[in-house]
Amino acid sequence: MSTRDRALLDEVETLLAMEAHRDHPLHSALSRLYHRHLEQRDRLERLVNIADGFQQSAQQDLHQTRHQLDRQLRRQRKLSRIADRYQDLLHERNQALEDASSRDPLTGLANRRRINRQLKRTIAESERRGRPFSLAMVDIDHFKRINDRYGHAAGDRALIVLAQALESALRVDDFCGRWGGEEFLVVLPNTDLVQAESMVTRLCDRLRDLDLGLAPDGPRVTASGFITEHRPREDYRDTIRRADRALLSAKRDGRDRLYQAE
Amino acid sequence: MSQDLNLPGSVSTPEIQSDWQAGRLSMQGDSYPENSFDLFSQVIDWVEAFLERESRPLALALELVYLNTSSVKAMMDIFDLLEDAHQAGREVDVVWHYDPRNDRIAELAEEFKEDCTFPFAIRPREVPA
Repeated sequence: MSTRDRALLDEVETLLAMEAHRDHPLHSALSRLYHRHLEQRDRLERLVNIADGFQQSAQQDLHQTRHQLDRQLRRQRKLSRIADRYQDLLHERNQALEDASSRDPLTGLANRRRINRQLKRTIAESERRGRPFSLAMVDIDHFKRINDRYGHAAGDRALIVLAQALESALRVDDFCGRWGGEEFLVVLPNTDLVQAESMVTRLCDRLRDLDLGLAPDGPRVTASGFITEHRPREDYRDTIRRADRALLSAKRDGRDRLYQAE
Repeated sequence: MSQDLNLPGSVSTPEIQSDWQAGRLSMQGDSYPENSFDLFSQVIDWVEAFLERESRPLALALELVYLNTSSVKAMMDIFDLLEDAHQAGREVDVVWHYDPRNDRIAELAEEFKEDCTFPFAIRPREVPA
Protein backbone atom coordinates (compact mmCIF):
# COMPACT_ATOMS: atom_id res chain seq x y z
CA MET A 1 0.00 0.00 0.00
CA SER A 2 1.32 3.42 -0.89
CA THR A 3 2.04 6.08 1.75
CA ARG A 4 -0.69 8.27 0.32
CA ASP A 5 -3.28 5.49 0.69
CA ARG A 6 -2.04 4.79 4.20
CA ALA A 7 -2.26 8.50 5.13
CA LEU A 8 -5.79 8.70 3.71
CA LEU A 9 -6.92 5.65 5.72
CA ASP A 10 -5.30 7.04 8.88
CA GLU A 11 -7.03 10.35 8.32
CA VAL A 12 -10.45 8.69 7.85
CA GLU A 13 -9.91 6.53 10.93
CA THR A 14 -8.95 9.56 13.01
CA LEU A 15 -11.96 11.58 11.76
CA LEU A 16 -14.35 8.72 12.53
CA ALA A 17 -12.96 8.40 16.02
CA MET A 18 -13.46 12.06 16.91
CA GLU A 19 -16.41 12.78 19.26
CA ALA A 20 -17.23 16.00 17.38
CA HIS A 21 -18.08 14.11 14.20
CA ARG A 22 -20.13 11.40 15.78
CA ASP A 23 -23.44 13.04 14.89
CA HIS A 24 -22.42 14.07 11.42
CA PRO A 25 -24.97 12.78 8.84
CA LEU A 26 -22.18 11.07 6.82
CA HIS A 27 -20.53 9.46 9.86
CA SER A 28 -22.41 6.17 9.75
CA ALA A 29 -22.06 5.74 5.96
CA LEU A 30 -18.34 6.61 6.01
CA SER A 31 -17.75 4.26 8.91
CA ARG A 32 -19.36 1.36 7.02
CA LEU A 33 -17.51 2.25 3.84
CA TYR A 34 -14.26 2.36 5.78
CA HIS A 35 -14.77 -1.15 7.27
CA ARG A 36 -15.92 -2.50 3.96
CA HIS A 37 -12.72 -1.19 2.44
CA LEU A 38 -10.58 -2.89 5.11
CA GLU A 39 -12.32 -6.21 4.45
CA GLN A 40 -11.81 -5.90 0.70
CA ARG A 41 -8.17 -5.08 1.27
CA ASP A 42 -7.65 -8.26 3.34
CA ARG A 43 -9.37 -10.37 0.71
CA LEU A 44 -7.22 -8.90 -2.01
CA GLU A 45 -4.05 -9.64 -0.03
CA ARG A 46 -5.14 -13.24 0.57
CA LEU A 47 -5.89 -13.63 -3.12
CA VAL A 48 -2.49 -12.28 -4.12
CA ASN A 49 -0.77 -14.58 -1.63
CA ILE A 50 -2.55 -17.63 -3.01
CA ALA A 51 -1.75 -16.68 -6.61
CA ASP A 52 1.91 -16.11 -5.70
CA GLY A 53 2.04 -19.50 -4.00
CA PHE A 54 0.67 -21.20 -7.07
CA GLN A 55 3.12 -19.43 -9.30
CA GLN A 56 6.02 -20.35 -7.10
CA SER A 57 5.10 -24.02 -7.03
CA ALA A 58 4.57 -24.00 -10.80
CA GLN A 59 7.99 -22.50 -11.18
CA GLN A 60 9.53 -25.14 -8.95
CA ASP A 61 7.83 -27.84 -11.01
CA LEU A 62 9.13 -26.29 -14.18
CA HIS A 63 12.62 -26.09 -12.80
CA GLN A 64 12.49 -29.71 -11.70
CA THR A 65 11.12 -30.86 -15.06
CA ARG A 66 13.85 -28.99 -16.88
CA HIS A 67 16.44 -30.56 -14.63
CA GLN A 68 15.03 -34.03 -15.31
CA LEU A 69 14.93 -33.35 -19.03
CA ASP A 70 18.55 -32.22 -19.02
CA ARG A 71 19.51 -35.34 -17.13
CA GLN A 72 17.61 -37.58 -19.55
CA LEU A 73 19.20 -35.85 -22.52
CA ARG A 74 22.65 -36.28 -21.05
CA ARG A 75 21.94 -39.94 -20.38
CA GLN A 76 20.54 -40.45 -23.86
CA ARG A 77 23.60 -38.86 -25.42
CA LYS A 78 25.90 -40.98 -23.30
CA LEU A 79 23.95 -44.11 -24.20
CA SER A 80 24.11 -43.35 -27.92
CA ARG A 81 27.79 -42.53 -27.74
CA ILE A 82 28.67 -45.76 -25.96
CA ALA A 83 26.37 -47.86 -28.16
CA ASP A 84 27.90 -46.35 -31.30
CA ARG A 85 31.37 -47.15 -30.07
CA TYR A 86 30.39 -50.75 -29.38
CA GLN A 87 28.99 -50.94 -32.87
CA ASP A 88 32.27 -49.63 -34.30
CA LEU A 89 34.06 -52.25 -32.25
CA LEU A 90 31.84 -54.99 -33.66
CA HIS A 91 32.35 -53.68 -37.16
CA GLU A 92 36.13 -53.75 -36.72
CA ARG A 93 35.92 -57.27 -35.33
CA ASN A 94 33.94 -58.36 -38.38
CA GLN A 95 36.46 -56.77 -40.69
CA ALA A 96 39.32 -58.50 -38.91
CA LEU A 97 37.50 -61.85 -39.11
CA GLU A 98 36.65 -61.30 -42.75
CA ASP A 99 40.26 -60.44 -43.41
CA ALA A 100 41.57 -63.42 -41.46
CA SER A 101 39.21 -65.80 -43.22
CA SER A 102 40.30 -64.68 -46.66
CA ARG A 103 44.05 -64.61 -46.16
CA ASP A 104 46.65 -67.31 -46.05
CA PRO A 105 47.95 -67.00 -42.48
CA LEU A 106 51.56 -67.79 -43.42
CA THR A 107 52.21 -65.52 -46.38
CA GLY A 108 49.41 -63.01 -45.93
CA LEU A 109 48.41 -63.54 -49.56
CA ALA A 110 44.80 -64.18 -50.52
CA ASN A 111 43.64 -67.73 -49.84
CA ARG A 112 41.45 -69.78 -52.17
CA ARG A 113 38.28 -68.28 -50.78
CA ARG A 114 39.40 -64.80 -51.62
CA ILE A 115 40.93 -65.82 -54.95
CA ASN A 116 37.60 -67.33 -56.02
CA ARG A 117 35.74 -64.21 -55.00
CA GLN A 118 38.18 -61.97 -56.81
CA LEU A 119 38.11 -64.15 -59.91
CA LYS A 120 34.33 -63.88 -60.18
CA ARG A 121 34.68 -60.10 -60.15
CA THR A 122 37.48 -60.17 -62.71
CA ILE A 123 35.40 -62.33 -65.05
CA ALA A 124 32.36 -60.09 -64.75
CA GLU A 125 34.49 -57.04 -65.44
CA SER A 126 36.28 -58.67 -68.36
CA GLU A 127 33.00 -59.80 -69.95
CA ARG A 128 31.41 -56.41 -69.45
CA ARG A 129 34.27 -54.63 -71.15
CA GLY A 130 35.04 -57.35 -73.66
CA ARG A 131 38.66 -57.44 -72.48
CA PRO A 132 40.79 -60.56 -72.16
CA PHE A 133 42.33 -61.71 -68.91
CA SER A 134 44.91 -64.35 -68.16
CA LEU A 135 45.70 -66.68 -65.33
CA ALA A 136 49.06 -68.06 -64.30
CA MET A 137 49.86 -70.88 -61.94
CA VAL A 138 53.35 -70.48 -60.53
CA ASP A 139 54.88 -73.42 -58.76
CA ILE A 140 58.21 -73.43 -56.94
CA ASP A 141 60.28 -76.35 -58.22
CA HIS A 142 61.48 -79.01 -55.76
CA PHE A 143 60.33 -77.05 -52.76
CA LYS A 144 60.17 -80.25 -50.75
CA ARG A 145 63.97 -80.39 -50.83
CA ILE A 146 64.17 -77.08 -48.98
CA ASN A 147 61.89 -78.38 -46.26
CA ASP A 148 63.84 -81.61 -46.05
CA ARG A 149 67.20 -79.94 -45.86
CA TYR A 150 66.56 -76.80 -43.80
CA GLY A 151 63.46 -77.77 -41.86
CA HIS A 152 59.85 -76.62 -42.19
CA ALA A 153 60.36 -73.35 -40.31
CA ALA A 154 63.02 -72.30 -42.84
CA GLY A 155 60.75 -73.50 -45.63
CA ASP A 156 57.97 -71.32 -44.26
CA ARG A 157 60.27 -68.30 -44.14
CA ALA A 158 61.30 -68.96 -47.74
CA LEU A 159 57.65 -69.10 -48.79
CA ILE A 160 57.06 -65.71 -47.16
CA VAL A 161 60.00 -64.20 -49.08
CA LEU A 162 58.72 -65.72 -52.33
CA ALA A 163 55.19 -64.49 -51.72
CA GLN A 164 56.40 -60.96 -51.02
CA ALA A 165 58.53 -60.95 -54.16
CA LEU A 166 55.61 -62.20 -56.21
CA GLU A 167 53.22 -59.63 -54.86
CA SER A 168 55.59 -56.71 -55.26
CA ALA A 169 56.24 -57.61 -58.91
CA LEU A 170 52.59 -57.29 -59.89
CA ARG A 171 50.88 -54.32 -61.49
CA VAL A 172 48.16 -52.41 -59.65
CA ASP A 173 45.21 -54.40 -61.01
CA ASP A 174 46.95 -57.79 -60.91
CA PHE A 175 46.20 -60.10 -58.11
CA CYS A 176 47.81 -63.17 -56.62
CA GLY A 177 47.10 -65.71 -53.92
CA ARG A 178 48.44 -68.89 -52.42
CA TRP A 179 46.67 -71.72 -54.17
CA GLY A 180 48.32 -74.62 -52.38
CA GLY A 181 51.61 -75.55 -50.66
CA GLU A 182 54.11 -73.82 -52.93
CA GLU A 183 51.67 -73.03 -55.71
CA PHE A 184 50.63 -69.46 -56.39
CA LEU A 185 47.83 -68.28 -58.63
CA VAL A 186 48.31 -65.00 -60.46
CA VAL A 187 45.38 -63.17 -62.08
CA LEU A 188 46.23 -60.68 -64.80
CA PRO A 189 43.21 -58.58 -65.84
CA ASN A 190 43.21 -56.85 -69.25
CA THR A 191 46.07 -59.07 -70.33
CA ASP A 192 46.17 -61.40 -73.32
CA LEU A 193 48.33 -64.49 -73.54
CA VAL A 194 51.24 -62.73 -75.25
CA GLN A 195 51.48 -60.02 -72.59
CA ALA A 196 50.96 -62.60 -69.87
CA GLU A 197 53.86 -64.64 -71.12
CA SER A 198 56.35 -61.83 -70.81
CA MET A 199 54.91 -60.82 -67.44
CA VAL A 200 55.18 -64.31 -65.96
CA THR A 201 58.61 -64.91 -67.46
CA ARG A 202 59.81 -61.80 -65.65
CA LEU A 203 58.11 -63.00 -62.49
CA CYS A 204 59.83 -66.39 -62.60
CA ASP A 205 63.18 -64.69 -63.30
CA ARG A 206 62.67 -62.57 -60.28
CA LEU A 207 61.94 -65.56 -58.08
CA ARG A 208 65.02 -67.31 -59.40
CA ASP A 209 67.25 -64.41 -58.31
CA LEU A 210 65.84 -64.31 -54.84
CA ASP A 211 67.95 -64.84 -51.73
CA LEU A 212 65.73 -66.98 -49.54
CA GLY A 213 67.92 -66.39 -46.50
CA LEU A 214 68.35 -70.10 -45.89
CA ALA A 215 72.16 -70.11 -45.66
CA PRO A 216 75.05 -67.96 -46.88
CA ASP A 217 75.16 -68.63 -50.59
CA GLY A 218 72.14 -70.78 -49.93
CA PRO A 219 70.10 -72.34 -52.67
CA ARG A 220 68.08 -70.36 -55.15
CA VAL A 221 64.82 -71.73 -56.41
CA THR A 222 63.38 -72.04 -59.86
CA ALA A 223 59.71 -71.79 -60.67
CA SER A 224 57.51 -73.33 -63.30
CA GLY A 225 54.57 -71.45 -64.62
CA PHE A 226 51.58 -72.22 -66.72
CA ILE A 227 49.61 -69.43 -68.28
CA THR A 228 46.25 -69.50 -69.89
CA GLU A 229 43.76 -66.98 -71.14
CA HIS A 230 40.24 -67.14 -69.87
CA ARG A 231 37.84 -68.34 -72.59
CA PRO A 232 34.65 -66.38 -73.06
CA ARG A 233 31.79 -67.78 -70.96
CA GLU A 234 34.12 -70.31 -69.36
CA ASP A 235 33.57 -70.99 -65.66
CA TYR A 236 36.58 -69.62 -63.77
CA ARG A 237 36.95 -72.98 -62.03
CA ASP A 238 37.47 -74.61 -65.41
CA THR A 239 40.11 -72.03 -66.32
CA ILE A 240 41.93 -72.84 -63.09
CA ARG A 241 41.54 -76.58 -63.67
CA ARG A 242 43.08 -76.24 -67.12
CA ALA A 243 45.98 -74.32 -65.69
CA ASP A 244 46.45 -76.75 -62.85
CA ARG A 245 46.27 -79.90 -64.99
CA ALA A 246 48.65 -78.50 -67.55
CA LEU A 247 51.04 -77.44 -64.80
CA LEU A 248 51.17 -81.00 -63.50
CA SER A 249 51.87 -82.54 -66.87
CA ALA A 250 54.37 -79.79 -67.65
CA LYS A 251 56.25 -80.59 -64.46
CA ARG A 252 56.67 -84.12 -65.65
CA ASP A 253 58.42 -82.77 -68.76
CA GLY A 254 60.92 -80.74 -66.80
CA ARG A 255 60.92 -77.67 -64.60
CA ASP A 256 62.07 -74.06 -64.61
CA ARG A 257 59.86 -73.38 -67.59
CA LEU A 258 56.88 -71.47 -68.75
CA TYR A 259 54.09 -73.24 -70.54
CA GLN A 260 51.14 -72.00 -72.49
CA ALA A 261 47.75 -73.45 -73.10
CA GLU A 262 47.10 -74.84 -76.55
CA MET B 1 18.11 -61.97 0.11
CA SER B 2 18.27 -65.72 0.07
CA GLN B 3 18.35 -65.90 -3.70
CA ASP B 4 21.82 -65.21 -5.05
CA LEU B 5 22.35 -65.02 -8.79
CA ASN B 6 24.40 -67.65 -10.51
CA LEU B 7 23.87 -67.45 -14.26
CA PRO B 8 26.23 -69.57 -16.34
CA GLY B 9 26.35 -67.22 -19.35
CA SER B 10 26.13 -68.09 -23.03
CA VAL B 11 27.38 -66.79 -26.37
CA SER B 12 25.07 -63.81 -26.05
CA THR B 13 24.71 -63.41 -22.29
CA PRO B 14 27.30 -62.66 -19.64
CA GLU B 15 28.16 -64.93 -16.75
CA ILE B 16 26.70 -63.39 -13.59
CA GLN B 17 27.36 -64.27 -9.96
CA SER B 18 26.26 -62.51 -6.82
CA ASP B 19 27.36 -63.07 -3.25
CA TRP B 20 25.04 -61.41 -0.75
CA GLN B 21 27.23 -62.30 2.23
CA ALA B 22 30.39 -60.87 0.69
CA GLY B 23 28.59 -57.93 -0.92
CA ARG B 24 29.89 -58.84 -4.34
CA LEU B 25 28.45 -58.92 -7.83
CA SER B 26 30.44 -60.02 -10.84
CA MET B 27 29.67 -60.14 -14.56
CA GLN B 28 31.85 -61.42 -17.39
CA GLY B 29 31.51 -61.84 -21.12
CA ASP B 30 29.50 -60.52 -24.02
CA SER B 31 25.96 -59.24 -23.61
CA TYR B 32 23.49 -59.07 -26.45
CA PRO B 33 20.59 -61.08 -25.03
CA GLU B 34 17.32 -61.59 -26.85
CA ASN B 35 15.49 -60.16 -23.89
CA SER B 36 17.80 -57.88 -21.98
CA PHE B 37 14.99 -56.72 -19.70
CA ASP B 38 14.56 -60.24 -18.28
CA LEU B 39 18.26 -60.66 -17.76
CA PHE B 40 19.10 -57.30 -16.26
CA SER B 41 15.96 -56.86 -14.17
CA GLN B 42 17.24 -59.73 -11.98
CA VAL B 43 20.56 -57.96 -11.56
CA ILE B 44 18.99 -54.57 -10.90
CA ASP B 45 16.57 -56.12 -8.38
CA TRP B 46 19.45 -57.77 -6.58
CA VAL B 47 21.47 -54.53 -6.39
CA GLU B 48 18.44 -52.55 -5.24
CA ALA B 49 17.59 -55.11 -2.57
CA PHE B 50 21.16 -55.26 -1.31
CA LEU B 51 21.49 -51.48 -1.10
CA GLU B 52 18.13 -51.21 0.65
CA ARG B 53 18.46 -53.99 3.20
CA GLU B 54 22.16 -54.00 3.99
CA SER B 55 24.51 -51.28 5.06
CA ARG B 56 27.68 -53.17 4.13
CA PRO B 57 29.83 -52.12 1.17
CA LEU B 58 29.00 -53.38 -2.33
CA ALA B 59 31.69 -54.26 -4.86
CA LEU B 60 31.13 -54.90 -8.55
CA ALA B 61 33.72 -56.90 -10.50
CA LEU B 62 33.15 -56.59 -14.24
CA GLU B 63 34.80 -58.12 -17.22
CA LEU B 64 32.32 -57.28 -19.92
CA VAL B 65 33.36 -57.25 -23.55
CA TYR B 66 30.69 -56.53 -26.14
CA LEU B 67 27.41 -54.90 -25.02
CA ASN B 68 24.43 -54.16 -27.22
CA THR B 69 22.46 -50.94 -26.73
CA SER B 70 19.92 -52.28 -24.23
CA SER B 71 22.73 -53.83 -22.18
CA VAL B 72 24.57 -50.49 -22.20
CA LYS B 73 21.40 -48.88 -20.87
CA ALA B 74 21.03 -51.52 -18.15
CA MET B 75 24.63 -51.01 -17.03
CA MET B 76 24.05 -47.24 -16.89
CA ASP B 77 21.00 -47.91 -14.69
CA ILE B 78 23.10 -50.06 -12.36
CA PHE B 79 25.81 -47.40 -12.13
CA ASP B 80 23.10 -44.83 -11.36
CA LEU B 81 21.93 -46.96 -8.44
CA LEU B 82 25.49 -47.11 -7.16
CA GLU B 83 25.92 -43.37 -7.62
CA ASP B 84 22.76 -42.62 -5.62
CA ALA B 85 23.92 -44.97 -2.87
CA HIS B 86 27.35 -43.36 -2.86
CA GLN B 87 25.78 -39.88 -2.62
CA ALA B 88 23.84 -41.17 0.38
CA GLY B 89 27.10 -42.16 2.05
CA ARG B 90 27.28 -45.85 1.13
CA GLU B 91 30.53 -47.56 0.29
CA VAL B 92 30.39 -48.90 -3.28
CA ASP B 93 33.04 -49.59 -5.88
CA VAL B 94 33.53 -50.99 -9.36
CA VAL B 95 36.54 -52.72 -10.86
CA TRP B 96 36.34 -53.29 -14.61
CA HIS B 97 38.94 -55.71 -15.97
CA TYR B 98 39.78 -55.86 -19.64
CA ASP B 99 42.02 -57.86 -21.91
CA PRO B 100 45.08 -55.66 -22.55
CA ARG B 101 45.09 -56.84 -26.18
CA ASN B 102 41.79 -55.05 -26.61
CA ASP B 103 42.21 -51.61 -25.08
CA ARG B 104 39.14 -50.30 -26.89
CA ILE B 105 37.21 -51.95 -24.05
CA ALA B 106 39.11 -49.80 -21.57
CA GLU B 107 38.05 -46.69 -23.50
CA LEU B 108 34.45 -47.84 -23.35
CA ALA B 109 34.70 -48.50 -19.61
CA GLU B 110 36.02 -44.93 -19.30
CA GLU B 111 32.87 -43.69 -21.02
CA PHE B 112 30.74 -45.49 -18.43
CA LYS B 113 32.89 -44.13 -15.62
CA GLU B 114 32.27 -40.53 -16.64
CA ASP B 115 29.80 -38.90 -14.18
CA CYS B 116 30.43 -41.59 -11.54
CA THR B 117 31.93 -40.18 -8.36
CA PHE B 118 32.38 -43.51 -6.55
CA PRO B 119 35.65 -45.49 -6.92
CA PHE B 120 35.70 -46.99 -10.42
CA ALA B 121 38.92 -48.72 -11.48
CA ILE B 122 39.69 -49.92 -15.00
CA ARG B 123 42.47 -52.49 -15.01
CA PRO B 124 44.12 -54.70 -17.60
CA ARG B 125 43.71 -58.36 -16.76
CA GLU B 126 46.95 -60.23 -16.43
CA VAL B 127 47.37 -62.50 -19.40
CA PRO B 128 49.39 -65.64 -18.96
CA ALA B 129 52.56 -65.25 -21.05
